[in-house]
Amino acid sequence: MSDRVQTGIAGLDEMLGGGFLSETANLVEGAPGTGKSTLGMQFIYNGIQRFNEPGIILTFEEFPQQYYRDAQAFGWPFHELERADKLRVVMTSPEVSQADLERVGGRIESLVREIGARRILVDSLSHFERLARDPIDLRRIVYAFINALKREGLTGLLTRESPALIGESSTSDEDIAFLMDAYLMLRYVEIESSIHKALLVLKLRGSDHAKDIRQFEITGSGFEVRSRFEGREGILSGSPRRMAESFVEAFVRR
Amino acid sequence: MTTTGGDLAARLMGDMDPELLDFLKTKVNTFIKWDLVRFFHENPHSADTAANVARYVGRDVAAIEAELGELVGTAVLSRQRIGDMAVYSLTTDAAMRSLIEQFVHACDDRQFRVKAIYHIIRGMR
Repeated sequence: MSDRVQTGIAGLDEMLGGGFLSETANLVEGAPGTGKSTLGMQFIYNGIQRFNEPGIILTFEEFPQQYYRDAQAFGWPFHELERADKLRVVMTSPEVSQADLERVGGRIESLVREIGARRILVDSLSHFERLARDPIDLRRIVYAFINALKREGLTGLLTRESPALIGESSTSDEDIAFLMDAYLMLRYVEIESSIHKALLVLKLRGSDHAKDIRQFEITGSGFEVRSRFEGREGILSGSPRRMAESFVEAFVRR
Repeated sequence: MTTTGGDLAARLMGDMDPELLDFLKTKVNTFIKWDLVRFFHENPHSADTAANVARYVGRDVAAIEAELGELVGTAVLSRQRIGDMAVYSLTTDAAMRSLIEQFVHACDDRQFRVKAIYHIIRGMR
């Protein structure tokens, strides 16, 4: 049995050296509209359809109806998958899900057993922030939550909102990233008056991974990873420069 | 000849499925309960506190707490204690879930909705 949990997204699995490691917690962070939930839904859908791994979507904000509609737009029939006991879309709150996972025989544990779930999308981790103001308390809560998911044998993709639309964000809970086994960043990038999207794997615990920054798009069939940004630097700043310009700036204009 | 309120109600309810009529009379007899039943029907795996359910349905928690309790009393919802929280979810009883589905689908029909609204208003007087 492979120790890799493939996302089924060409390009991304390659960046991850074959996929996420099994029974790990993997963070996808990005600004609104970058495609975090789409990536998560595709991870769940491909798991069911291509790898026979049922999944759970735990949502703290969007109604399940929204996921059914969004998924249908990509041709992913979530309603049918729920009827076939391959998927459960669960709307709840961080405080209830955390308390539920702490007890024996809780609802989430029962759902995992009921459909034999192997994957989970948690959308989004940002909602845990209302449970604790203190970063140490927040880290303790999230640590217990992801350990409970691992205990249930789940490989998790957890989304987190980044407050900055363009450029680097300054989140107050960077500690959370340390708890994660993988850390993926989705960013908007402005190039020649047009917005592009960039994907970077910042961290993959226990495994090598691609270090380059790739372009990606959300197409009619979902998340598509494209080529790397060639000849530019400063991608994560949101306003990259051509390499030649920075070379001139660094060496010629001195 | 005049028609009394009772006669009108009897005529309006006469052609309603007796099972649905009973469901309406004994279980979903307020507009808030109607909202709550619809919410849990559309989100059958949801489980949450009264305060969070209130946010989801766009009502005040004070307005829905007693109604949630009554829906638990009539076995439409179930209530569990998780930690120090009371958490509400849709009943797992298949017969009740089927009745709820029947009710929600019947509500797609305007005639049925009008009758149901009339019945609820009458019950509130």
